[in-house]
Amino acid sequence: MQFKALLIDAYRQLSAAKLFWLTLGLSAIVVILYGSIGFYDDGVSLFYGLWDIQSDELHSNSLWARGLYIGIYSSFLVNIWLAWVATILALISTCSIFPEFVHSGSIELTISKPIGRFKLFLSKYLVSLLFVVLQVSIFCVGVFFCVGLRVNDWNPMIFSAIPIVAVFYSYLFSVCVLVGMLTRSGITALLITGVFWMGLWSIQTTESILTNFVTQYQVDIERFEEGLINSEASLAKIIEKSPDDSRIERRQERIDSFRTDIEDSKEALNTLDKWHGPISWILTVTPKTAQTIGLLDRWLSDPDGFDIGAIMNGDMEAFENMEEIDPTTHDARQRETMRRMREDYETRSLWYVLGTSLLFEVFVLGLASWYFCRKDF
Amino acid sequence: MEVIQLHDVEKVYRGKVHALRGVSIDVMEGEIFGLLGPNGAGKSTLVKILMTVIHASKASGSLLQKPIGHRSTLKKVGYLPEHHRFPYYLTGKEVLHHYAALSKVPRNDRRSRSSSLLSRLGLSGWEDKKTSTYSKGMLQRLGIAQSLMNNPELLILDEPTDGVDPVGRREIRDLLLELKDEGRAIFLNSHLLSELEMVCDRVAIMVKGKVTMQGTIDSLTKDSKRYEIEIEGNLPDWAEESCDSIQGTMMIVHGDNASSIQPIIDRLRSEHCTIRSVKPVRENLEDLFMRAVDNTDAPGAAQ
Repeated sequence: MQFKALLIDAYRQLSAAKLFWLTLGLSAIVVILYGSIGFYDDGVSLFYGLWDIQSDELHSNSLWARGLYIGIYSSFLVNIWLAWVATILALISTCSIFPEFVHSGSIELTISKPIGRFKLFLSKYLVSLLFVVLQVSIFCVGVFFCVGLRVNDWNPMIFSAIPIVAVFYSYLFSVCVLVGMLTRSGITALLITGVFWMGLWSIQTTESILTNFVTQYQVDIERFEEGLINSEASLAKIIEKSPDDSRIERRQERIDSFRTDIEDSKEALNTLDKWHGPISWILTVTPKTAQTIGLLDRWLSDPDGFDIGAIMNGDMEAFENMEEIDPTTHDARQRETMRRMREDYETRSLWYVLGTSLLFEVFVLGLASWYFCRKDF
Repeated sequence: MEVIQLHDVEKVYRGKVHALRGVSIDVMEGEIFGLLGPNGAGKSTLVKILMTVIHASKASGSLLQKPIGHRSTLKKVGYLPEHHRFPYYLTGKEVLHHYAALSKVPRNDRRSRSSSLLSRLGLSGWEDKKTSTYSKGMLQRLGIAQSLMNNPELLILDEPTDGVDPVGRREIRDLLLELKDEGRAIFLNSHLLSELEMVCDRVAIMVKGKVTMQGTIDSLTKDSKRYEIEIEGNLPDWAEESCDSIQGTMMIVHGDNASSIQPIIDRLRSEHCTIRSVKPVRENLEDLFMRAVDNTDAPGAAQ
């Protein structure tokens, strides 16, 4: 009964805010725009047929159509709209919930009821996530119908965005709650949460860049070692056949060059590891916002590779010949690096992505609830 | 039976402010008990300790026969805090339902009680309007209605008539007396001494975190009872030795017994002195309050 009362109160509080309806309206526009993308026999149509683009790869019978359509949802609508714009609007809407809750004159009325402080705090926290849950749910329903009608894929996994975005948002909201409780100021809570979010983004971006470099060097070292082995084998053959051959010197120079490259790459890798290690550790103990949102990409991507990642890599035309790309080219190196990085991120366990992030959230909420339970109001 | 029993309650805030210094109070079933004191005396702190809003540094005692801090007991207690704030987005009726639900009042009871209380508190017609449109007096009435939604055995009201006009005050006073007649105990915390005097069975005066006086108004003012005999013209020579004190042309005789002034009146009459008035005088609550405050140097917060 008490939880229900708090839930109803949270709904009334949110629906009384203009920003709630504004966000909902903007979400509706995004869904309408998303639904305006369609596929016909010869290509893609935008804005409900106002603009047609002919394409050999993207058409109503193409396997790429589903990949593109779902990919726009998981990579752009969720990543940009839900995980950035809607989240910022949600934080603005909800940042003052706890400062108002603990405001003098208001808290006495609630805290003097027969409900334990910890239960009260936790209930209030959970119902405050209602803003995001409601917004994302309505958004997902719209997207579900768009995907079903446009590419005939009635995919229930689209709704996995609801828990994912709610969990993602809760990482930030927990900090907002702690600061709001301590300062009793919604604006301060919002600003500090913003700084915290930027901090997380910086850590994740730095980790991603460093991982990219580390992976590149690892790929390089493997390529150099392979080249070294081949050159040594070739040299041995030449020496065996004609010990005075002029190619011996060139082969030797190449072998030396490979050795130098290996040494240089290993040295660079060691230097990078000094930074990569601590940054990875910091990332482990902090909320992984990007990777949490990335889970949706992971769960919605096409198992056969017909997804937006491949489209953005320009694989649509070259897809059939991908395996034949010359492995010694710069492109191949980049492609291999990207493949390994993607594999690395996709093999990171749910425990690593969600578990450790939620542990951080539990820690922050623990502090906030401890303060709330001990505070004299 | 005591509904509130407090012994030696102490509260020291982190800034080392000693807000309560061993407060002991007993409130009996079915009585209206008034707690008075200057600003910063610790009255609100004491009330908040009872309602678990503040943690006492040291406390023993009970609330409705359960230890202080026992959560479930709060189901039977109605509370109106001072300067309360209701959510601006709720209507009067929603406020009552929300706080009653937090007090675990069943839905059917909430419906029936909210309508009857809103009508009893003169808020009929306002139940579906947002509280942001209410006047201060209306918010105060709504606060009282809120405190009664759980049909409490004990009602704790912190400044219940704050911001209420004289008509409203009278209505609230009548309501308190009705509630008392229903057998509820009421703990009032107020600055309005005349209001308290009219409704309270017993009072306690707190100054600097200590209860300096406690009891019925009658017992507390008993020592102040006196007779004032005012004479026209000059007082006779023997006047000073036959009364307790003299103020201008007024002879003052302490005591509650009318027979003690009869010899004085007889003598004045025999000497043809004109008696302008003979008045039995007793301290009112305000005098008592001022005396209690004066005895402890000055009003203000405990240090």
